[in-house]
Amino acid sequence: MSAEKGNVKILVFACRWCGLIGADGAGRKRIELPASYRVIPVDCAGYVEPDAVIRAFASGATGVAVLGCHVGGCRFNDANHPALKRLELLKTLLDTTGIGGKRLLLGFGTAHESHQYAEMIVDFHREVEGLPSMASWLHIAE
Amino acid sequence: MLDQVKQKSKEILEKKEADGVLGLKKGPWDVIHPHVFTTPAEVDSLVLEPKWLFAKMARAILREKPQAWRLAVVVRGCDERAVVELVKRNQIDRERLLTIGYACDGNQAKTCLCSRPYPRKLDAGSAVEGVDPLADERVKAYLEGDAAERMEKWAAQLKRCIKCYGCRNSCPICVCVPCKLEDDVWVERGVVPAEMVSFHLIRAFHLSDTCVACGACQEACPVGIPLMTLQLSMREALRKDYNYEAGLDANRKSPVLFDFEKEPRPGQAVPDWVDSMGKKP
Repeated sequence: MSAEKGNVKILVFACRWCGLIGADGAGRKRIELPASYRVIPVDCAGYVEPDAVIRAFASGATGVAVLGCHVGGCRFNDANHPALKRLELLKTLLDTTGIGGKRLLLGFGTAHESHQYAEMIVDFHREVEGLPSMASWLHIAE
Repeated sequence: MLDQVKQKSKEILEKKEADGVLGLKKGPWDVIHPHVFTTPAEVDSLVLEPKWLFAKMARAILREKPQAWRLAVVVRGCDERAVVELVKRNQIDRERLLTIGYACDGNQAKTCLCSRPYPRKLDAGSAVEGVDPLADERVKAYLEGDAAERMEKWAAQLKRCIKCYGCRNSCPICVCVPCKLEDDVWVERGVVPAEMVSFHLIRAFHLSDTCVACGACQEACPVGIPLMTLQLSMREALRKDYNYEAGLDANRKSPVLFDFEKEPRPGQAVPDWVDSMGKKP
């Protein structure tokens, strides 16, 4: 079974109060980053329903990152607490099916500065690269 | 046990505690079908086997009937938990629904891999000890091994799906209208076999904190995909992290709906930051 190397596509759901600021900063500082990721800005990590993460995997994403604020520092009261709980539960499901919880990166309060964001994306890219290919799940006809 | 259930049903109908009793009826030519018994005399043809989950049916009946109409349901352990889950979601008015609970026997518990083969409100029979589903060979085969191995195993199983929606329709708790599994945004329609990741994982995840492990999805599946096994690890995670089990307490909603102050993880501090790759910021 081949690894995901060369086929990495990362989808980042970045909360506009933390993750997105980090992403913006990384771009402004011209930090060199893998070209494999795309960012979807969301107002809060609480908006990211696990179904959206599943849909991203179904559409060919090899890794999904959800970046939000500190667990105690959500701009919308405590909206990111249930988000964190839900997504951790989703990780369990991904682990069970062998897709691997490692494909889902949860970063709450860890990416609001540009260098942190860059480091995170680079590390995540490297981690996803080594995972076994999801082809047996995606290409049913074969 | 059957006599006790019949006795209790008759009592309820005689005392007018409920207007109907929902249970299985052995009709002409020994055909067994769900039936709403409305007179005590009719209750003589009530039977308990085979396993049949009434929670969703009870919801549909109560929606059809006027507000004053009350229903009693003959339930097993799993069925009672499903009723509780529907009550939590405001699908059933608990005031209008009575339950007549009876315990399953040991064989049934082993077949279903049930950890609680008895209802909380037990009216007939005596409770037997459940089995631990995670210790069973049939389940272990799908939960062990490394990731690549498990991915192959599950892909081989799910590939056989004929997308009959039996798992969704038979589930006593799947009641959403509209359903995401019928929506092009989430799952492409008219494609067989189903899009594996989105169809199966969305279905499984929607039931993550609701699944009462009745096994109806698995029994309904015409190609025999071990669907309940998908839910077991999530049930276990909720039990371990939050000491929560679906269907036990009508007053406690799923912990994933609340923040860490209201539903903390016992023994674990609230994390200031989370990095699933395990690095410090």
